[in-house]
Amino acid sequence: MPTVNTGGIIMEHGVFINDMAQAGYLKVDYSRFKDIEKIENNSSTIDELNLEGDEISSLKAVGVNLYDNSLVGKFLIYGTNVYTSRPRIAGVEIIPLKEALLLYPDIKAKYYFKAVDREQDEVTRTAYKKEQNGYFIRVKKNVVVDIPIHTALFMHKENSVMCIHNIVVLEEGAQLHLITGCTSGCTLKEGLHIAVSEHFVGKGAKLTNTMIHNWGSDFVVRPKTATIVEDDGTFVSNYYSVKPPKNIQTNPFTHLKGKNASAKYMTVLASLPNTYSDIGGTVLMTGENSGAELVARAVNHGGTVNQTGLLIGAAKGVRAHVDCSGLMLSTEGVIEAIPGLRAMHPDARMSHEAAIGKIDTGEVNYLQSKGLEEMQAIALIVRGFLDIGIEEEGFEPELQKAIQQISELSGHGEE
Amino acid sequence: MLSISDLHVSVENKEILKGVNLHIPKNEVHALFGPNGSGKSVLLSTIMGFPEYKILQGKIMFKGEDINQLSIDERVKLGIAISEQRPPTISGVKLRSLIELLASERKDDAFIEDMVERFNMAKFLNRNINDGLSGGEIKKSELFLAMVARPAFLVLDEPDSGVDPEHLKKIGAMINEIIQQGNQGKISCDPLAKNSGLIATHSAAILNYIHTDKAHVMLNGQIRCSGNPGVMMEQIRLNGYKYCIRCQQLIQEE
Ligand SMILES: Nc1ncnc2c1ncn2[C@@H]1O[C@H](COP(=O)(O)OP(=O)(O)OP(=O)(O)O)[C@@H](O)[C@H]1O
Ligand SMILES: [Mg+2]
Repeated sequence: MPTVNTGGIIMEHGVFINDMAQAGYLKVDYSRFKDIEKIENNSSTIDELNLEGDEISSLKAVGVNLYDNSLVGKFLIYGTNVYTSRPRIAGVEIIPLKEALLLYPDIKAKYYFKAVDREQDEVTRTAYKKEQNGYFIRVKKNVVVDIPIHTALFMHKENSVMCIHNIVVLEEGAQLHLITGCTSGCTLKEGLHIAVSEHFVGKGAKLTNTMIHNWGSDFVVRPKTATIVEDDGTFVSNYYSVKPPKNIQTNPFTHLKGKNASAKYMTVLASLPNTYSDIGGTVLMTGENSGAELVARAVNHGGTVNQTGLLIGAAKGVRAHVDCSGLMLSTEGVIEAIPGLRAMHPDARMSHEAAIGKIDTGEVNYLQSKGLEEMQAIALIVRGFLDIGIEEEGFEPELQKAIQQISELSGHGEE
Repeated sequence: MLSISDLHVSVENKEILKGVNLHIPKNEVHALFGPNGSGKSVLLSTIMGFPEYKILQGKIMFKGEDINQLSIDERVKLGIAISEQRPPTISGVKLRSLIELLASERKDDAFIEDMVERFNMAKFLNRNINDGLSGGEIKKSELFLAMVARPAFLVLDEPDSGVDPEHLKKIGAMINEIIQQGNQGKISCDPLAKNSGLIATHSAAILNYIHTDKAHVMLNGQIRCSGNPGVMMEQIRLNGYKYCIRCQQLIQEE
């Protein structure tokens, strides 16, 4: 069978296969799952935690400040230890999932592997078999939490394997902005991170989930996320990759089950040499008049990026738009944008756009003529490209700086 | 200040400027007239150093230095600023972001704030650069950026085209501000000192607001005659640009 090399993409049997996928990049070494570390069932308080200064900064760079004495509580998994600061406002719970399962036996029937299919793949099967810990967050009916809750997953041991299972429940009319930072600090190189996250957005509730990743250069990351949204509910998912791992594959799934439910995904990432980022998003719309929007931006400094999005319109009056754009800043690397639409109802209104290009030299020259140096001009244009209007209110200044640095990365990786 | 000799420039492999000679002394602002397509914008863009304009021959001297090889930002540092006729849209980049970056470089916040207020620029700061701006608004934005640069030499490409009479007055005030301001923050002791500039225009109207010391007419890639701006504009209005060719023939015959 002849293969055609089309700029890093191998075409075989009429199907495009990314050459890195071909080379086995997409495969996780499942034998490593035996090394999954058992996360403790109970938690200590954040006061009992002793972090080094650079670990505190690493957490801040992924949006998490453990020490702002917030009323709404915190949650941290640090290696195999769990630390929490319990919310001091009524109607908000943040506890380890293991503890929640003992405390509220009905969680198992209502939420546990009820959004994510445990038989989906090796990762979900493993998370199920290992009964891993994570956070359980619940916001009671009509409680509006107006300060973001910070949760963090911190891997601090070289070559470790972390497996997490999180559940977030927003009851009817509740509102929450959850900021989750996942990081391997600033010195670690290698590890495997897998996570199952299940979100339940009740009637008229609104969940904003901002996820920030900052990984070592040889990490493999496999998040499995699914969200179910009831009538008039809203789910906003923001994803920033401040520093990509060697290999990440994720395709967060949202089911807009209720009438007028809506979902918005916004994804911003920079790819470095020798990294592979397959960041997707799938929204199934079975609720009447539900709506979905997916906006993805990738800046390529020499790695491989797959931007996939699939919106499935399967009810009356649904509307959907997907926009995947990439900026090639390096002669190396690949960006592949696959904005997908699937209409399963004659009333579905769906559209997509995708644009990939290099930076416009005319724009760079123009900004230079106004007094910027070339690198500054490029950074400003990239920053504009990545600015997709994610609501940054409540972000730590360190996080804002880290986001800004995504556009200032030059064409080389670390070291 | 600026001295151009025998300048030949090509764009897209086509020679557009065919031997331009131009001398603008210190403390002088000159006007550049000429029909559409004669090469005015090409000349101004070449002075700024935009790389699509290739110098085939000739020299551009600025402050006694040959600047042919200098990059755009090096020319800005030397004190040249341009207000373009048709600047590009920079989607996603707010004017504010650019201004803030320039302000932090130059530690010039107070001055910039002052100018934002004086020239009523606040409402443009949150717009993307040139994105969806009206013709007149683009001119204002361009002049404002030139003002922030505090240039010693101001290059203006049709700052007045498409501007209504009321705004023309404001545009004129902005240009005068740039010309009069002590360049790059330095105040001169000479009471008559001002910055220099070159203004391409088709209309006499702007010249009512800005004093120009001399005018030049460009025809087909060359400067064919020079003289008093008011007189020359009047001649062009009455006799067209060809009057300039006749003048030159007369001069040559003498
Ligand atoms: N980027 C370019 N590519 C191709 N041709 C160009 C380019 N820029 C300028 N030209 C050509 O060079 C010639 C001079 O153009 P220029 O813009 O300098 O004219 P101008 O004198 O400024 O005219 P106007 O009064 O209409 O602004 C024109 O024939 C124009 O088409
Ligand atoms: Mg022109």
